[in-house]
Amino acid sequence: MLGKGGKRKFDEHEDGLEGKVVSPTDGPSKVSYTLQRQTIFNISLMKLYNHRPLTEPSLQKTVLINNMLRRIQEELKQEGSLRPMFVAASQPADPLSDNFREAQPAFSHLASPPLLPADFVSTMPLESCLTPASLLEDDTFCTSPAVQHDGPTKPPPPALQPVKDSFSSALDEIEELCPAPTSAEAVAAESAAVDSKAQPSESNIHKPEGLPESRTAESKLMDPLPGNFEITASTGFLTDLTLDDILFADIDTSMYDFDPCTSATGAASKMAPVSADELLKTLAPYSSQPVTPNQPFKMDLTELDHIMEVLVGS
Amino acid sequence: FLGAGGGNDIQWCFSQVKGAVDDDVAEADIISTVEFNHSGELLATGDKGGRVVIFQQEQENKTQSHSRGEYNVYSTFQSHEPEFDYLKSLEIEEKINKIRWLPQKNAAQFLLSTNDKTIKLWKISERDKRPEGYNLKEEDGRYRDPTTVTTLRVPVFRPMDLMVEASPRRIFANAHTYHINSISINSDYETYLSADDLRINLWHLEITDRSFNIVDIKPANMEELTEVITAAEFHPNSCSTFVYSSSKGTIRLCDMRASALCDRHSKLFEEPEDPSNRSFFSEIISSISDVKFSHSGRYMMTRDYLSVKIWDLNMENRPVETYQVHEYLRSKLCSLYENDCIFDKFECCWNGSDRQVEFLSLIVMTGSYNNFFRMFDRNTKRDITLEASRENNKPRTVLKPRKVCASGKRKKDEISVDSLDFNKKILHTAWHPKENIIAVATTNNLYIFQDKMN
Repeated sequence: MLGKGGKRKFDEHEDGLEGKVVSPTDGPSKVSYTLQRQTIFNISLMKLYNHRPLTEPSLQKTVLINNMLRRIQEELKQEGSLRPMFVAASQPADPLSDNFREAQPAFSHLASPPLLPADFVSTMPLESCLTPASLLEDDTFCTSPAVQHDGPTKPPPPALQPVKDSFSSALDEIEELCPAPTSAEAVAAESAAVDSKAQPSESNIHKPEGLPESRTAESKLMDPLPGNFEITASTGFLTDLTLDDILFADIDTSMYDFDPCTSATGAASKMAPVSADELLKTLAPYSSQPVTPNQPFKMDLTELDHIMEVLVGS
Repeated sequence: FLGAGGGNDIQWCFSQVKGAVDDDVAEADIISTVEFNHSGELLATGDKGGRVVIFQQEQENKTQSHSRGEYNVYSTFQSHEPEFDYLKSLEIEEKINKIRWLPQKNAAQFLLSTNDKTIKLWKISERDKRPEGYNLKEEDGRYRDPTTVTTLRVPVFRPMDLMVEASPRRIFANAHTYHINSISINSDYETYLSADDLRINLWHLEITDRSFNIVDIKPANMEELTEVITAAEFHPNSCSTFVYSSSKGTIRLCDMRASALCDRHSKLFEEPEDPSNRSFFSEIISSISDVKFSHSGRYMMTRDYLSVKIWDLNMENRPVETYQVHEYLRSKLCSLYENDCIFDKFECCWNGSDRQVEFLSLIVMTGSYNNFFRMFDRNTKRDITLEASRENNKPRTVLKPRKVCASGKRKKDEISVDSLDFNKKILHTAWHPKENIIAVATTNNLYIFQDKMN
């Protein structure tokens, strides 16, 4: 981190985020770009939700971070989804969009089947993105002497694979620990492309329509944050992210089905919205940890099992 | 003539430093604002602990013509106290966000100081005489037994040690839901504005229970909020004109004569984005942290994260000049975002007006990291980087210019970007209104530099 001439640390950090690109071709540039975008997204989320100030957080800062998140989500939406209207829409199972999430939030009734655009990246010119990947050409994070528009249509090279694997390791770890998911969406999630822990789904930008109780992230943000997670827990961003990462593989998502006709889980379905909020409250300590691909999920899931048992009341 | 040579031809020398020496910075001592009064005789600082410290310049000693008067502590008082908002369960910080002096009308001095929520008008007055010889009271204030009074006398004023008293004369409260970032006194010297993230209010200095809202950018649906007000200032000459800047890098000029609520700007100043510099952080670094009119009011200066821009009020579509403060940080924006430095609010200021030629705004000063500060000469287009540090500063020794090496081989005496200390930031600087004396605030120290008089 930057500090009192802490040179070594800064260099390491710099290499990870702002330093070298793996190779000078456009493919890894795209990888770096999505990696950067993902990193920035994660950082932004953490800034919003891990801050427990005694005083009101700065509205300007909140607004700027929020705008950042929205922009990234817009980009993701444009790149990935052919059905932008779906609130909890799935991400395309595109192996090239490294950081897209296949997993669905636990509100399965809102999900739509995963899409498989064949090589959407190659047909999606990078000019339409907010930041051309060509800005990464000279190893800097954000600027480039010249904006290049050639090359974005090249198919991604195999160099993507190593990056993908490093992210999917966390995912694999979860899957090893958990029983096979019961929902179709969770199955789709297993075949997902890479991800890190705090992965957005494109639904974040919209208020989940199936959650009348939850307020949008923005409305929560604009109100002064007392710094406890009771309020932040019900925001759109955190709901999706936490549930995605931790719950999907383990929980029988049918309990979140709002269909009143579901007999077996009738009582549970009424509880579902409440459960989600309470879960998030208890998960608050976990979400405050820094996001790393190798985050140990084991303990979290055991705790969650226990919590779920308690909440379901069985 | 100040402007002829420019920033580089002024040879800045260390004069004084105020504040604790040790590296361990007490939170309350962090300086949050610096402001000279209209004559330059007084220099006020506000800190995070809610205190105001005023320094007074010694009268120039005719025999010591090689240096200007030193600044010594004149008055210290607690301006704001921490409060608790019970409705929101949040603390209201006592940190002084801004101080603005009123022009002097009588023997007393007046200033406005504000924290996030409340503005206060303080009267600073001197007392160097006290009445003595009361008939019914002893000197210590106890009442005398009337039966012991045998003679009558007239009380007289006798000199006493100078006492400087600060008393709050007005408290302007409960008008801001959001955090106040600016106050600006109108050229009519009767009214002033206060700006928070979403609203700007107009006050009369005499009236505390009423203020008028003149700008309101709060959307009906807060979810749609994407832009906030970051700074506001009255025009120095036109009492119905003011500007406010935003987090999206725009400046709006408003005329209060147009309508009661100035939601529609008269002018909108915005520079189109440079596509080659576009990045994830473009918006954040375009957020304007300070806006200052030039002395004449024809130009205004804005500070965003990486640059200072000079705008001609007659040209809205782009600034007339742009000065890069620390362009080498452009490639570090992600790290600076992560550690929050990208949200640092740097201020900027103009040179004072010279004795010979008044109201020329020719030099711009602003702070940076590593306790560096920068000056730009608009005439010569030269710039200089100086450092505020105790180690390298001896009185009457000209400050050595600094240079940051952005990349490649570092020359001797250059500092590489990676070695910069981002905890040492200079956010607040002030320029004496009439002389080449500058006040530069590091985290908890106040440095005073003067030009070398030959």
